[in-house]
Amino acid sequence: MKKTLTVNLGGTVYHIDEDAYVLLDNYLKNLHYHFRQREGAEEIVRDMEARIAELFDEYLRQGLKVITIHEAETVIARMGKPEELGDEEAATTESTYAAAAQGEGPRRRLFRNEDDRVLGGVASGIAAYMGWEVVYVRLALLLLGFFVQGLIVAYLVCWMVIPAAKTATEKLQMQGKPVNMENIGKTVTDGFERVNEYVHSGETRSFLARVGNVIVQMAGFIIKLALVLIAICCTPVLVAVLFVFFALLLMGVGLTASLPVVFYHAFPFIDWNSIGTQPLLAIILALCGLLAVGLPIVGLLQLVFQSLKMWRPMSTGVKVGLILLWMVAIAIGLVLLLQVPFVGESYFPNDSRFYGNF
Amino acid sequence: MKDIETTKSQMRKGMLEYCILLLLHREASYASDIIARLKEAKLIVVEGTLYPLLTRLKNEEMLSYEWVESTQGPPRKYYRLTPQGEELLDGLQTAWDELSDTVNHLRTKLLIQ
Repeated sequence: MKKTLTVNLGGTVYHIDEDAYVLLDNYLKNLHYHFRQREGAEEIVRDMEARIAELFDEYLRQGLKVITIHEAETVIARMGKPEELGDEEAATTESTYAAAAQGEGPRRRLFRNEDDRVLGGVASGIAAYMGWEVVYVRLALLLLGFFVQGLIVAYLVCWMVIPAAKTATEKLQMQGKPVNMENIGKTVTDGFERVNEYVHSGETRSFLARVGNVIVQMAGFIIKLALVLIAICCTPVLVAVLFVFFALLLMGVGLTASLPVVFYHAFPFIDWNSIGTQPLLAIILALCGLLAVGLPIVGLLQLVFQSLKMWRPMSTGVKVGLILLWMVAIAIGLVLLLQVPFVGESYFPNDSRFYGNF
Repeated sequence: MKDIETTKSQMRKGMLEYCILLLLHREASYASDIIARLKEAKLIVVEGTLYPLLTRLKNEEMLSYEWVESTQGPPRKYYRLTPQGEELLDGLQTAWDELSDTVNHLRTKLLIQ
């Protein structure tokens, strides 16, 4: 006896077994994730969904009442796993994986393991990367957390910066398993939550490890509780921060408007009169300064919003381009700074350092 | 053996875009028709390969589509070439002719020697 569900797939209603539903749902989510950086990702997945519905239709016309795991598997094999699809870009990454697999064994990559986590899955990601037992990494983190200052901040930074392993390929890379069709097939058809079982199945847990696990679970619970309490306590603070932020924004606008005056007084040794005769120099210098300061801020914003899942991750090309632009802006800025006309020697005798000798 | 398969599939991948345009040049079709034709010609192995390509060509305005009612289920997207698509097809046509000429030329030259 099996539980069946009713699903709406591409506008048609189907009865589907629960396990088949889970499989199909995983498949579609995986497709979504695979195409996430592509323009029209939604449309691609929607069209593929329509095609899957059409293939199911054929089964129903042959007299089938319910879509079982068997039909779901057949249809997925026919459509192809995410890793088999993508056109141009994916083809190159596939060949790099193949090259890595042919070399000194598959290269492990550091991911957060969200399938096995207490807080962010950082510890189990590190454990998978180093090939250690997760429990010991967590206990070590917990113990060190009392003594080493900054470890908590380091953990939070790792949580934000290290990406989570989402696709079958990434999960296999995290575990250092070769990325081949057989393993991907296993992770896709077994459902992702079973990847960990499959990876850990060969290891017998010692008594110590089990005790450690209980301790870690308890500590994790306490930390989560503490975080929730802190969040509740922080709500008024957050509102205050918002007000401060708004005030800072206003101040920023004011400062920007008064910037020329500030510069004038901050750098008295610059001959502002002759800068006035070289407007191009001033404009380019200002532009370089803006880029040199602004681009890191853009990068930080991207990092924050990306980890909040509000912005899409930048493509590597854009990243490299922006970094190059930043470096060029700094280089040009430095070169131009040397050309800034200084007030003649006569200024320096009035310097405060000079007065100090009296 | 594995290398032959990779090279073969890369060759097919390179041809795919041209063949899709070629199929749509004659008549507007919907994705499943195109899949059936391409499978017949052994140009694709898994069906999902087609969808990212179609969407990309549509976003590049080489293809356009319209929804057509169907007797067997929900409405279908019928793709057709845009004037730009026709231009691209012409360009690819020439490229393919040149390519096959070169390859054939090389082959006959080698056979003669």
